[in-house]
Amino acid sequence: MQPIPAIPDILKLKRGTGSSHRFQDNLTIALFLLPALILFLIFVIYPIFQSVYYSLFDWKGFGPAVDFVGLDNFINILTDKVFLIALRNGVFIIAFSLVFQLPLSLALAVLVGRDLPGRVFFRTIFFMPYVLSEVMAAIMWLFLYNADPERGLLNALLVLFPGGKAIPWLSDTNIVLPAVFLAITWKYFGFHMLLYLAGLQNIPIEIEEAGRVDGANSFQNFFYITLPLLGSTIRTSVYLSVLGSLQQFILVWIMTKGGPVNASETLATYMYRFGFVRFQLGYGSAVAIYMFLICLTFSLVYRRLTRQPDYLTGL
Amino acid sequence: MASVTFEHVFKRFGDVIAVNDLDIKIEDKEFLVLVGPSGCGKTTALRCLAGLEEISDGKIMIGDRVVNDVAPKDRDIAMVFQSYALYPHMSVYDNMAFGLKLRKVPKDEIKRRVTQAADMLGIGHLLDRKPRQLSGGQRQRVAVGRAIVREPKVFLFDEPLSNLDAKLRVETRANISKLHLQLATTFIYVTHDQVEAMTMATRIAVINKGLLQQIDTPQTLYDKPNNLFVAGFIGSPAMNFFKTKLVKGDGKLFVDGGSFKVEVPTDRNNVYMPYLDKPVILGVRPENIHDPNFCPPGIFAQNIDGKVDVTELMGNEIQLYVTAGEHSFVARVDPRTKVRMGESIQVAFNMGNMHLFDPETEQAIR
Repeated sequence: MQPIPAIPDILKLKRGTGSSHRFQDNLTIALFLLPALILFLIFVIYPIFQSVYYSLFDWKGFGPAVDFVGLDNFINILTDKVFLIALRNGVFIIAFSLVFQLPLSLALAVLVGRDLPGRVFFRTIFFMPYVLSEVMAAIMWLFLYNADPERGLLNALLVLFPGGKAIPWLSDTNIVLPAVFLAITWKYFGFHMLLYLAGLQNIPIEIEEAGRVDGANSFQNFFYITLPLLGSTIRTSVYLSVLGSLQQFILVWIMTKGGPVNASETLATYMYRFGFVRFQLGYGSAVAIYMFLICLTFSLVYRRLTRQPDYLTGL
Repeated sequence: MASVTFEHVFKRFGDVIAVNDLDIKIEDKEFLVLVGPSGCGKTTALRCLAGLEEISDGKIMIGDRVVNDVAPKDRDIAMVFQSYALYPHMSVYDNMAFGLKLRKVPKDEIKRRVTQAADMLGIGHLLDRKPRQLSGGQRQRVAVGRAIVREPKVFLFDEPLSNLDAKLRVETRANISKLHLQLATTFIYVTHDQVEAMTMATRIAVINKGLLQQIDTPQTLYDKPNNLFVAGFIGSPAMNFFKTKLVKGDGKLFVDGGSFKVEVPTDRNNVYMPYLDKPVILGVRPENIHDPNFCPPGIFAQNIDGKVDVTELMGNEIQLYVTAGEHSFVARVDPRTKVRMGESIQVAFNMGNMHLFDPETEQAIR
């Protein structure tokens, strides 16, 4: 066997021995990570543990937490009808997002990605709501939904039709949730459209052309080729949409405060009501823990279920 | 199986004319190669035929059917793309079966055709793999296989070898020629590589700047190029060109290059006479320049003096880069030639195979 040539001394001097060199590397990495890590620990990790701690107390937010109640808060939440409504509404918003919002975003992305004349203009227009602040969007929709046909645009249009009647969009318990969902869709579809646009741009045009030559019409091309190749983009979009739906707060709070009679309550408005309106911070913390667990579980399960290769890499 | 006709086809992108009055009739079962430099419009012409581009003017026919407004899927063509364009999410089998499934071919028929094509191409053991698990050469064969199983009237190839390494390219070239014999179908093949064109085609169409320069058999293109472009494009190393003048002396015609003066074979005198005392461009292929010591017998040789700048030993020949006055040229000489860089040399032009071009029209003088 050939002897392994020794490392020249000059290199040894420069880089030190193997293990001390590795230590130095790690130290450098640690030092660069430190500022971000400190912020993350103080503002993300520490509050989580703090919430866990407070959720075990009946605490009003003033003075030290002393009334230890064990898991009572967690049990009470599960027996509260309003919490269950908030949970149901969350599922409703998720379902509506997956069935309406994302397909709409995808359809628009396909349209403005390729064929539509003036696509740059439409791309900008469609993305604008996402850039707008959520508070402004909510207030704008409040105007649109105003029950008085003299003030609300939607009702003003409705009464123009023969037999058309004004609809109390935000005060009818049966309509309020779809109405809020419409505003949410308007606010966020542009973001998902942008994701899909980026995904579509990653698909080489020749693959779709090969499909056309192979005999696929536009629909077959879309369903057999484009859609499967968008897989990883769709998975990301669904993931963000579900988490966003679960945490939906600003739009709902400003438009309806979860009302009327909790008809548009979401987990976030429910938590906020207890934490910062009624100042039952112990109870609110327990709600936050539930939200955290739901999101975490979803993330873990979803990641595990959708672990699929991205077909476009390595080609 | 079908003929293909381009009738005065134009394709414009804004102000750019990519295909300019293309007028070709491709016979049934022919292997036509469209060749030209990058951006000359050859791929655009192929895409027009495939239906991936709409033509701006003219008529394209497959068989007797005008296909101007026919969708790609209804043209009964198959195409092999430069990037292969395999469906990355489908197995090799599904890639090949996709077109047949869309046409609702029965399952066992699909299986029969895919297996047969895969065996023919030597990819039978790869049918379950995804494209990303294949090498470049294997992907290329899958792309060809996908075209074969469709049993189309016309095969289109868009630079299918350009992503392969040199050795594989030579091998695949031969395989595609073999395939053409086996399938006995019309092949239309686009490449920028004149070697591919020469080796595979039954006829070659040379295109430059959207314009058809010449269409003929490979040997005719090589022997009788119509113009300077074709002369320079076909053959490797390229034909040498010399800016010269046609002069007369002792009742004979000479090409005068300043630093050299070579005699024109008498049988060409009549044709060249109108250019007497006018500037002309002399074309001599490197393989028609010899070391006088190893000249093939019976050629009309004219010696000139020069200096060797570079020698490149190829084994079967030596390529010499020679300077003679203001002219530089390449010669492919016998490997026994004893000459070193910087030395003076006498080389023999085989004037029997000379070419003469009009410097203004760039057309061959014949």
